[in-house]
Amino acid sequence: MGKGIFDGLKVADFTWAAAGPIITKQLSDNGATVIKVESFQHPDSIRLGGPFTGDRPGINRSGFFADFHSSKLSIAVNLGHERRAEIIHRLVEWADVVADSFRPGVMAQWGFDYESLRKLNPGVIALSSSLYGADGPWARHPGYGAQGQALAGIHTMTGWPDRDPAMPKGAYSDSVSPRAGMAALAAALIHREKTGEGQQIELSQIETTVKLLQPELLYQQISGREPSRSGNYKEGVIVHGVYPCRGDERWIVIEAGTTAQWDALCEVLGDRAALEAVRHTYGPVGPDGAFCALDAEMAKRTAGWDAFELMARLRQAGVPAGVALKSCDLLEDEVLAQRKHFWPLHHAEMGTLKYNGPAYRFSRTPSELRSASPLLGEHTEDVLTGILGFTREDIDAFRACGLLD
Amino acid sequence: MSSQPLQNGALNGVRVLEIAHLAAAVAGSVLADLGAEVIKIEPPGGEAARGLAPLAELPGGGQVSCAWLAFNTGKKSVCVDLDSPEGLEQFARLAASADIIVSDFERLPISACDILAPLAEKANPQVIWTEILPFGRGGPYEDFPATDSVLQALGGHLFLNGDIDRPPVRIGLPVGVLQGGAEAAAAALMAYYHALRTGEGQRVDISIQECVVWTLLNTTMAWQILELIEMRGGAIRRERANRFYTRCVWPCRDGHIFFGPVGGGGGAAREKSYQALLAWMTAEGAGDPILTAFDWNGDGQFEISQANYDAVTEVISRFISSKTKEELMTRAVASRILLAPISSVGEILGNAQFRARGLFERCDDPQSGLSLEYPARWVRLSRTPLSPLSPPPLAGGDTRTQLAVEALHEKVD
Repeated sequence: MGKGIFDGLKVADFTWAAAGPIITKQLSDNGATVIKVESFQHPDSIRLGGPFTGDRPGINRSGFFADFHSSKLSIAVNLGHERRAEIIHRLVEWADVVADSFRPGVMAQWGFDYESLRKLNPGVIALSSSLYGADGPWARHPGYGAQGQALAGIHTMTGWPDRDPAMPKGAYSDSVSPRAGMAALAAALIHREKTGEGQQIELSQIETTVKLLQPELLYQQISGREPSRSGNYKEGVIVHGVYPCRGDERWIVIEAGTTAQWDALCEVLGDRAALEAVRHTYGPVGPDGAFCALDAEMAKRTAGWDAFELMARLRQAGVPAGVALKSCDLLEDEVLAQRKHFWPLHHAEMGTLKYNGPAYRFSRTPSELRSASPLLGEHTEDVLTGILGFTREDIDAFRACGLLD
Repeated sequence: MSSQPLQNGALNGVRVLEIAHLAAAVAGSVLADLGAEVIKIEPPGGEAARGLAPLAELPGGGQVSCAWLAFNTGKKSVCVDLDSPEGLEQFARLAASADIIVSDFERLPISACDILAPLAEKANPQVIWTEILPFGRGGPYEDFPATDSVLQALGGHLFLNGDIDRPPVRIGLPVGVLQGGAEAAAAALMAYYHALRTGEGQRVDISIQECVVWTLLNTTMAWQILELIEMRGGAIRRERANRFYTRCVWPCRDGHIFFGPVGGGGGAAREKSYQALLAWMTAEGAGDPILTAFDWNGDGQFEISQANYDAVTEVISRFISSKTKEELMTRAVASRILLAPISSVGEILGNAQFRARGLFERCDDPQSGLSLEYPARWVRLSRTPLSPLSPPPLAGGDTRTQLAVEALHEKVD
């Protein structure tokens, strides 16, 4: 097997929370040397967010943090210290890529804005990802992906038409924006490879998430009508819904878009006549909260099934179907297992946990999650002496003045 | 070195073939925005995605696919019948000069990929063959039938959305397919970067199921560490490790906002946000003893009783429902309150922040007569700006030039 795609690439990683670290994880899991810069004064905020190993909070115990930091190194430098540049400038000179996801203005306040970075390292690629973007009236307004997904329109398209919109799980802009950020970063690396030129990449996590509604934005302009949530009703198919199965909170998605799929579905569920009789009723939940007769009939027929058995039968018959997997199911899912999606990695405080690997596979240059998430500052000395060329005496002096803990 | 923007995008000179329904079109769209020459290979008469929902009525009659218009700007189109021997020859000729080929499962079944990929590799060993599949390559699951909703379910996201007295509810957008497309653009470029440095081409496959798993953020860790099976929620849900239900979606005068004023984590920013809300409510005479009866965001915030939470929610809710989204957001930005309006589609188009940053770009399409604004400027690259929009191509609009150019290449060789 060959080396990873980014083997030899050097990354100074100032990102935190989720949207930034998920981008730099694509680099580290493909061979790049990614040095995450944090401090004990201001550790990455999601180190303080659970789930914590043993339900006991601790700076090195968050599974939330761990999942986004495989294959990375961590140095702890007090970025509020007046001598911060002594270490950070050398790091920037070393780096091919400098990434951050702070609120706009934070990097500049430390003296690490793009213009300053470029003076130290003209070929550097500087990536900045923030919630609202680097300028505009809301640029410095704090917020998280939970605000991001509301403003980007994900909420408005989720939920039942007769009720308040639902809040989708997760901070959706945190998981959408890294894909866009990674594409832009790869493009900048390609340009640099061809020309030697670096540049600045700047994105708003909300704006990249708005791209998911691009068809709806065009629809609104052409028709003047507002697209909105419709529960699990889907236009243009024979049936599409989420139906109950046997057991506690067991649900299955079933979708039949073609006559052949409908026929096969009727075959599996039995009593074709009963289903055919209400086929024409398929529609969204009414203003009174009533489901259509077809949904009701489907639910009656699926309720006695084991969800996984029904999925297997429907798959065999060529009908798209999927169990609504719970967290525990994902770890046991046979497709994800065969795909080797989860990587068991050992961590000194957290033991062995299964980390999420990437959604892509390269036939010749496989990704590799090389190590578990680093302890805060785990590699400070190794990086400062082994990579940045500082001496033991330098490190002692940095410690004495409080630049290093 | 100059830092002035160039005329050309970062992917200037990169040639992409796209065999698409929706996901690969999204991938092609990202690559075209970044400056690549993207050539759609459509079947004679045009691809099925030209009729993909949502459809809008044109003023002059007829319908147009908004999904197709959305993700096909800045591209060329050739019509090739991939089911004919002649078409396969034409495909191989196009592949010979391509850097990246991207396809998706809704357009090409696995069996067709198995024919086309080797042809492309034979014509061009450096090519990056990219497939967007429901579950990826490598097992019996390659052939499982799937749709976006099925993948929202199998990626674990569906289970977590919707009111608990009804079935789980999907996000009403094909989020898995769309994100699979964006992921494919990133992965194809990573592989192309490798090819550029080493001369080595390869195949890349994307699993949409895995893309959906990546939208959960902490769910798989919460299970492993705490054996926590999160339950779904809608406007009201039990967040994180809370023992009580909190309101996340609040009705206001002209719609809804997202807000988590008290309880259940968030740290110093949440505490300050709550204090700012209190100051505002007090100033407007909407104060109430319950608002300060507990240390709502400090120690013990995870142990609040449901009755106490409901009581404070009642008071806050009354205040929020008297305000408009704009009033709420204006005050939020001024005082750092962590709320956000739930934007309707029209409101996204009018959003002051997006407008100030120049997110939107107008595209005039002489064919349809439409003049539409796209959220086109999704990233800023200081040296290699995104390509300006050009309207989506006519089916086969570039067949003659592209295939003639290929024939010419062959003669020269």
